[in-house]
Amino acid sequence: MQANDIISSGLLELYATGLTSKEETIQIEQWAKLHPEVAAELSAIEKGLESYAQAHAIQPAPSVKGKVLAQINTDKKTTIIPFNNGARSVAPFWKYAAAASVILFISSAIINVSLYNKVNETAKNLDQTQQSLASLQQSNEDMKGSNESMKQDMGVVQSKYSEPVVLNGIGVAPNAVAKIFWMKNTGEVYIDPSNLPDVPSDKQLQLWAIVDGKPVDAGMIVTANNGQKFKIQKMKSFGKVDAFAITIEKKGGSPAPTMDQMVVMGKPTL
Amino acid sequence: MELLKKYSEEELILSLQQRDQQAFSYLYDNYAPALNGVIYRMVEEKELAEDILQEAFIKIWDNFTHYDSSKGRLFTWMINLTRNLTIDTLRSKNYKKQQKISADENSVSNLSNNYSGAERFDTIGLRKNLENLKPEQKTIIDLAYFSGYTQEEIAKEIGIPLGTVKTRMRTAIIELRKML
Repeated sequence: MQANDIISSGLLELYATGLTSKEETIQIEQWAKLHPEVAAELSAIEKGLESYAQAHAIQPAPSVKGKVLAQINTDKKTTIIPFNNGARSVAPFWKYAAAASVILFISSAIINVSLYNKVNETAKNLDQTQQSLASLQQSNEDMKGSNESMKQDMGVVQSKYSEPVVLNGIGVAPNAVAKIFWMKNTGEVYIDPSNLPDVPSDKQLQLWAIVDGKPVDAGMIVTANNGQKFKIQKMKSFGKVDAFAITIEKKGGSPAPTMDQMVVMGKPTL
Repeated sequence: MELLKKYSEEELILSLQQRDQQAFSYLYDNYAPALNGVIYRMVEEKELAEDILQEAFIKIWDNFTHYDSSKGRLFTWMINLTRNLTIDTLRSKNYKKQQKISADENSVSNLSNNYSGAERFDTIGLRKNLENLKPEQKTIIDLAYFSGYTQEEIAKEIGIPLGTVKTRMRTAIIELRKML
């Protein structure tokens, strides 16, 4: 590239404002060494920006300078670098040392570029990690919810007042089982429908309590495929029950049980 | 009280390479306000800006052997170092880059300037000259120089194609140079 083309490209201005990529930066530094006109133009641009920054200067608190000077004075690591003004001849050893240092410098530049890429990579990974953390937090929230309802279920099962009543399969579903937890102190009736058969979507399972020889509606059992089936559900409360039974009824329930559609039945031990 | 020694840029660099603390003191006096101005516009908090300024000057002292005058002027090296340090600090503190720079009320030239004391630069004269810079020219320089924006961010902020940033910046700096 000709010096004039470099100057008019606008790249020197981007370089001076810190906007060039690593590759462009290296390229421009090479150009500046190759072409004195480019170096002069770059210097003029930098001077312009320097004045611009000086025009927008803000005086810091006077204490800052003291802190800076105190810190550089206590810094034991700083070493005096002897300055070579170039007048002396260079011994062969130093030539090799200089060559070695150039190689070192280049390899360090390569390492820097690769580290820079790694940093970018790491930043990306961090983003992904943060995203998956957010989704984990969401599922943790969900789990808290299901844990709460499981605790409730366990409370029903473990209560000293709960009397378990096993309803065994009869008639249309000989393998079905349902468990009732009947709270003796409050009369509340809970059912665990885990082992009840699935019913067509236009049908629903209905619980009946047989009181004084007559079936009384005890509520509809939710068996829809939304996970509800496996949760212990609260039904209607009863003080006195001879037996519990479940029948398959039309969706929403029936006023009286369809006797030939009975699934399970069981009696409390008392 | 000793007389303040004046340095040319070359003398200053030579003295700093020889770890001359008096030269460093001179460097601080002449450039700390300008660097502080840059940091302040990026962080918008006086104390934080001064903390970063302090850290920047320690870094300049510690890393002075890395400065290569063939790659550019001393101030360019210092401002790049300072800007990168500020960006790193803002990132580590989880600060969000504030999208505040615009052509009008938030323009840096309207921020109060309390530069005072012995100064090498005719700040007031410079500021007067810069008043002739067009707002869009100021904005593009400010976004790069005072906000540490990337080319992509500048293009997005001003609403111009990425390829136009280069030519727009060149025009702005050419105008800037005419005014000095």
